[in-house]
Amino acid sequence: MLYKILVVDDETEVRDLLVDLLNKEDYLSKSCASGEAALDLLKTESFDAVLLDIKLSGISGLEVLKNIRDTYKNLPVVMITGFGYDEDLIAKSKQCGCCGYIGKNMPVSQIITTFKQFIETAKERCKTQNE
Amino acid sequence: MRRPSASEGDGFDSPLPLKKRTLKKVGMTTAIRETKEILHRLLDNTGVLVLYLDRNENVLLCNKKAESVTGLKHEEIIGKNWLELLFRNKNNIIKKDIFKAVMDSSIRYKRSKDFEGTILDKEGKERLFSWNLSPMHAEENQSEGYILVGHDITEIRENRPVLKNIDATLKDIFSSIKEYALYVVNLSGNITYFGMGSEAMLGWKKQEIIFKHVSILHSLEDISANLHFILENVRLFGKYEAEMQLVTKLGETIPVILTVNQLLDSTGKISGYIFIAKDITERKKFEYQVLQSEKLAALGQLAAGIAHEINNPLFVISGRLGMLKEEKELSLKMKEGLNLVYLQADRIRKLVDRILMFAHKSTPSFEPMDINEIIESVMPLIHYNNLPTVKIEIEKHFEKNMPCIRADLHQLQEVFLNLLINAYQSMPRGGVVKISTSNFQNLYAQVKISDTGIGIPAQHLKNIFMPFFSTKNDGTGLGLSICHNIIKNHNGSIELTSQVDQGSTFTIKLPFI
Repeated sequence: MLYKILVVDDETEVRDLLVDLLNKEDYLSKSCASGEAALDLLKTESFDAVLLDIKLSGISGLEVLKNIRDTYKNLPVVMITGFGYDEDLIAKSKQCGCCGYIGKNMPVSQIITTFKQFIETAKERCKTQNE
Repeated sequence: MRRPSASEGDGFDSPLPLKKRTLKKVGMTTAIRETKEILHRLLDNTGVLVLYLDRNENVLLCNKKAESVTGLKHEEIIGKNWLELLFRNKNNIIKKDIFKAVMDSSIRYKRSKDFEGTILDKEGKERLFSWNLSPMHAEENQSEGYILVGHDITEIRENRPVLKNIDATLKDIFSSIKEYALYVVNLSGNITYFGMGSEAMLGWKKQEIIFKHVSILHSLEDISANLHFILENVRLFGKYEAEMQLVTKLGETIPVILTVNQLLDSTGKISGYIFIAKDITERKKFEYQVLQSEKLAALGQLAAGIAHEINNPLFVISGRLGMLKEEKELSLKMKEGLNLVYLQADRIRKLVDRILMFAHKSTPSFEPMDINEIIESVMPLIHYNNLPTVKIEIEKHFEKNMPCIRADLHQLQEVFLNLLINAYQSMPRGGVVKISTSNFQNLYAQVKISDTGIGIPAQHLKNIFMPFFSTKNDGTGLGLSICHNIIKNHNGSIELTSQVDQGSTFTIKLPFI
């Protein structure tokens, strides 16, 4: 099944790379540069998952995550950050309802595989809950 | 004083017959009687023993104290030879002779005499008196008799040993004070007294340093220890106090707070200077540690910020390179080149990873754990770390049944693994690693990890826990600073002692729960 992913990152180069990497793995991805734009886009288009940078200009990634959780209960959101493995950030992200956390300091090949695993697990969980 | 009856005569009348004859007026008699009464009372209440003796040294008059000391009644005293009275006990014959000699010299030279001497009281106990013997002169300057006044000073003297004890106690207190050195210097700057903790602090024996110039204790490098400046200040303002460094006999410097005061003689002139130095080594050490921790915390924040800024572009570089590498039309040379760039970028990524780990602000998850188990869990991990394949012996001495510590297993594993790897790497020709655990004063689990390796030069010891400081050619300089941070998060302490070519010892203390 072809998943449609929304990539949110304020750095163009990072955003483009993520889109390219995901598309290479047979995802259909679209991107935007801010949390505000992401929330607008979600209103008009449906996505299967969101890959969301934590540090954004404008409203922060965590705020966007909270907003998404309020409106789209089952939409899986994976957080991504240049801060790497930071337990405080991980705890906060989990609290706000993300389904995964990825540090940009991971080897690139692992980033997409990990993302995939997070999405699959979230979808599985969603399915069992609905049943 | 008991008043004598009429038949006995008046004690005052007899020695002063001249006076009596001159006082004829009847009206005066009452006044005289009143005066006598006052004098009697005065004598009785002085608290001293008073005997009035005639020329033949017989008692003409005495006060109540004389009665209470001798245990004799007034009438028994009057008329007695004073020596017979005070030295009734034959054993006191020598003292009696001494008293006699004093008396004789007083008579001969017509001078008042002060002396000390013991007599026996009514219970036969020795009592020490301070005596004053003064000749009395009648109006014609003729010797009429003597006044012997004795002040009982037995108790005062008996209290002296107490003073002696206080003296000894003070001496003990002074000699057990180690953080203070007290020494005195004369106007030429030579040491004239070297006491109270000075020997212990400064390493000089009293006899070695006495009369040496005090500049021997002052560091030439420390500008605040400038002796001329200090003494000038004391001369002008009476006192000088500053933090500075003093030099011990071995040439080591010790941080002190030095207070210098004027030493004044009895006329109020400066006769020297009193130096009091307080050793503040421990305080300085603590201040240094606090400063170090603050610096590390600031560096941690900085590192986290920088790492984040590097991670984003590095992610793009690595990501794009990874994709490029897989392009099919690339020449072999191109592929190799790209691979090399990719590997180097990965090296940067790993370094940034270490920096992030150092800057780690995560809250450790603490659990009660046995320190021995934590260390044991690390042992198998050592061999995964590309260590030199030389013969290294491991000696373990673990104290059993210690209380648990509050520990984050993964973090402490990282610390001990780091320290063990360091130990291994410091012994390129092999050696012994000793790991011991012990109960430190029921407060801390103490872990010592020592090696017989190349050691660390003294000048580097201070910086060893600073991030990016490394004595190894290929070190990132983050290992020990991460260890320091982790141990600090556990409310513990980590210290290193090391000697070049002898080896290093890390001592870690982690509080028991």
